[in-house]
Amino acid sequence: MTDPAIAATTDPPPDTAHRRLRRTQEWLASIHPRRLGLRTRILLMFALGALILSGFLAAAAYSFARSSVINQRDEAGIEQAYRNAQVAQNELSANNPSAEAAVARLRSLGVARFAINYRESWSASSAKYTSFAIPQEMRTRVITESTPARMITHVDGEPVLIIGIPLTVTDASYFEFVPLDDASEALSSVLLSLLFAGFITTIAGALLGVLIASRAVRPLGDAAQAAKAIAGGMLGTRLAPTDDHDLRILANSFNDMASTLQARVERDARFASDVSHELRSPLMTLAASVEVMKARRDEMPERAQAALDLLVADVARFQGLVEDLLEISRFDAGAIRLNLEDLLVAEFVRQAVAVSSAPTTPVSVTERGERVVIRGDRRRLARVIANLIDNARLHGGGDASITVTEPDGEGEPLGHVWITVADHGPGVPIEERDLVFERFARGAVAGRRSSSDGAGLGLALVDEHVRLHGGRVWVEDRIDGEPGARFVIELPGEEVGV
Amino acid sequence: MGDVGTRILSVEDDERIRTAVKLALEDEGWTVDEAASGEEAIKLFNRASPDVVLIDIMLPGMDGFELCRTLRRHSDVPIVMVTARNDTHDVVAGLEAGADDYLTKPFAPKELSARIRALLRRIRPISPGHAKLVFGDLEIVPDEGKVTRAGQELHLTKTEFRLLCELAQNPGRVFSRESLLDKVWGYDYFGDGRLVDVHVRRLRTKVESDPANPRHVVTVRGLGYRLQS
Repeated sequence: MTDPAIAATTDPPPDTAHRRLRRTQEWLASIHPRRLGLRTRILLMFALGALILSGFLAAAAYSFARSSVINQRDEAGIEQAYRNAQVAQNELSANNPSAEAAVARLRSLGVARFAINYRESWSASSAKYTSFAIPQEMRTRVITESTPARMITHVDGEPVLIIGIPLTVTDASYFEFVPLDDASEALSSVLLSLLFAGFITTIAGALLGVLIASRAVRPLGDAAQAAKAIAGGMLGTRLAPTDDHDLRILANSFNDMASTLQARVERDARFASDVSHELRSPLMTLAASVEVMKARRDEMPERAQAALDLLVADVARFQGLVEDLLEISRFDAGAIRLNLEDLLVAEFVRQAVAVSSAPTTPVSVTERGERVVIRGDRRRLARVIANLIDNARLHGGGDASITVTEPDGEGEPLGHVWITVADHGPGVPIEERDLVFERFARGAVAGRRSSSDGAGLGLALVDEHVRLHGGRVWVEDRIDGEPGARFVIELPGEEVGV
Repeated sequence: MGDVGTRILSVEDDERIRTAVKLALEDEGWTVDEAASGEEAIKLFNRASPDVVLIDIMLPGMDGFELCRTLRRHSDVPIVMVTARNDTHDVVAGLEAGADDYLTKPFAPKELSARIRALLRRIRPISPGHAKLVFGDLEIVPDEGKVTRAGQELHLTKTEFRLLCELAQNPGRVFSRESLLDKVWGYDYFGDGRLVDVHVRRLRTKVESDPANPRHVVTVRGLGYRLQS
């Protein structure tokens, strides 16, 4: 008995750090609501990289272009402004009471945008470029502190460079306005082309990303294809050796896995085959001994006879099972070679029925069916017929009948022939119609289908044999409406001697 | 029941199988000699002179193929081989080593006795007036079991001889594999066609001057075989 107190202390205490970690994980998961594929991630990374890089370059280029354009304007403007300021000073130093003369003089020289502060009153060239356009701090600097200044501001929304020059001799200040419209136009076209270049670069980055991603993902595609081939039964599939160090790890471990898998599958297949081989010798002894006893059945007491009958029947069943196992392990090893020859299908079916466990099973053949030749391994196809007859006898309530017909669609050139084995059993429910062809597929079918006899491999062998002959087999309801199943074998065949 | 005095040599290394087969064959009225190895079989063969030899391919020491070839060197006794597998390699190798027929383990003793009986059958008497059949340089005397090529006597096994006689019954007619399997080996529709093919090949190495380009025993594609001059 465990002490409940001890049991309680061994429980992990509620751990807040643990919970926090989990919350962090949940939060991280919420950032990636959908996991992006590797290809998409590489693409996005390249596009983002190109975007950042081109944005940075564009910004640098723009600011460089801007400062160089403005500097140019600046220098030219300042030089001109000083000359104009000199003109104004000359006029004002003539001791004029007002700046009218200076304004007129400058206008006559073609100077269009300027303002003069003279003896604390303003004169301007136009109504637009007046003292109000000049920011207060600049006015203070130039007029009060007598320091030349320049700054860029906006007048009515247009960029303007204002140059302020104190005319110290005459207690005046000269301000000149240099519009920067055309410069900003040039700059915005530069900006536009930079943005365009950035866009193109981003697209190019994304395209490069697609290219790189598909190259990076290609080995994964190869691996996926190889894995698919292996799953499909081509166990010898391997990845090609590569020089790439990173990929070599993947390729090597993939190939190791495939080799291990192959060895395992082959060992399993060999095991089934080896077991069956080992069973042959004791079976041989059993079969021969039972035969000897059978010859003396009449001399035996009744109970011994009954036991002998059981022995005889089950030795035969055992023998059949071992043969089936061997045949199916040959299928698995891919070691079956068909002994193909041309067979008149009707004659073949009659012969196969004659050597089966129910030689009196009726065989009906349509007129065209009589003329059909198939290419097949007669002994293996005879097993197919025999197994279907056995199946009808054991699970289909006996009373089987066989027909050889052309598939539906009369008048057309014949490409296939149908061999149908119909019984009067309980039929096979739709959901079990594929299952009955599985190995040892008794499953749910066993409940309804009577005896424990030979459900084993019979129908699985039918399926494998028919497929090896390029045909197919299926089970459906009887077409005459009576209860019962009908197994249809479709084999390639052609009509001869019409 | 078989002919009284028919002796069978059974070569099988598994003692239990050997004993059980012996019991079953003795029920048919035959005398059975047993050998556990190829070497023992050769010694016994000379002493007992059996009418049929039953050889298991998997033997310790000298294997069944080699025993078969050794016996064939100086005997035309019918040989039935027992293989563990019925895949092409073992069966064809056994037949080429000189076996007349084969069985795959585990077989029913009834099958074995049927095979032995078929091999022991006498050759059907040929209609009178055909005591001697001539095909170019080939001369067959069925009643004496004698075949000569260019005057020289050939050594055929009983089965090869029977196959040749069947073909000679109706010169020029094409015999299908099935009909030859039926007439020579006593098989039904589901006999193994490889028996015919390998025996025809063996027969050609003896009756043809150039077995690669047979003149007498010719293949009729898709139909069977035919004997001609």
